[in-house]
Amino acid sequence: MAGGMDLGTGGKGKKKPLDTAINLVPFIDLMAVTISFLIMTAVWTQISRLQVSQAGGPSQDTPPDDKALNLTLVVSERGYTINAQNAVYADIPKANGAYDTKGLDDKLKALHTNYPDQHQITVQSEDKVKYIDLVKVIDECVGNKLDAVSVSAVG
Amino acid sequence: MPIVVPGKRFGPRLQKSKIFGKGAHGKKGVFADLLITPLVDMFVIIVLFLIANFSATGEVLFMTKDIQLPTANNGDPIEMKPVVQVSKTAILVQGETVAQVADLGKDEYWNIPALEEKLRDEKKRLDVLHEGDKEGGFKGEVNIQADKEVEFSIIKRVMYSANQAGYFNLNFATLTGAGAPDKTASAATPGAPAAPAK
Repeated sequence: MAGGMDLGTGGKGKKKPLDTAINLVPFIDLMAVTISFLIMTAVWTQISRLQVSQAGGPSQDTPPDDKALNLTLVVSERGYTINAQNAVYADIPKANGAYDTKGLDDKLKALHTNYPDQHQITVQSEDKVKYIDLVKVIDECVGNKLDAVSVSAVG
Repeated sequence: MPIVVPGKRFGPRLQKSKIFGKGAHGKKGVFADLLITPLVDMFVIIVLFLIANFSATGEVLFMTKDIQLPTANNGDPIEMKPVVQVSKTAILVQGETVAQVADLGKDEYWNIPALEEKLRDEKKRLDVLHEGDKEGGFKGEVNIQADKEVEFSIIKRVMYSANQAGYFNLNFATLTGAGAPDKTASAATPGAPAAPAK
């Protein structure tokens, strides 16, 4: 048998045949155990974090920047107000009873274009504002490169 | 009436017909080969899918139905830090109730003493645990897992108490939105290059 596969039919008669079937049972066992382990340890919900510091407290990541604009975003039941250097930069009232997140996004984009080095912002919130609305505001700020967010209460 | 063996019985007209099979003459063999190849294929696909979803960090937060997290698109991957849970009814630290939300309205002070004390204990525990460890020591970070309907008046008090206990950096836990960029790849790999300074 020159060049062909020896099927073990000829020769001395004691050769084992090469066309043996692979025993798949241990492989299936291993798969079953792996699947069980992975299902037990799987994380089905992807959770992220929005890092904020407390206004007045020390922040570990960003040192205070003297050149930075004193930027404040007030979240009230009336809507959003962006203050820059203690003057009103933009007023974004609620539209149809809901916060105008799109309007805020546009204003923050414009702000970032005008002040590309600005990273600090203080979000001031009224007591009645819901956590989901506060998170939306922080998310918008971080998304527009204002990632050094401080949170404080109004007043 | 004679007792007959249960089973299919055709009418006398069809009893001799071969339309329903050959009757007792064509008995199948007992030994049948089970096709294992599709089963193994399916297992491989399931394993690959689960490995793709695998997170070495595990569950950082204990999810409960009392706390519905808000969604954010620009968050960073969450890390293991002390967790303060704020539901509509109670405030918990590491799963242990420290205050009831209904009781908070009675006080005029901003701080929540039980929460502050519990966080100070956690800080001490972390200090002892990471003694001499410069990188993994206490950095004043806490994860706040709050329900999306909770008012800021409660969050503010939790923040103030955390501040008083020495936790100045707060991580608001959120669900990762559909439009969020994938930041898990670099975070999951130890020693991966850090994100560029913003």
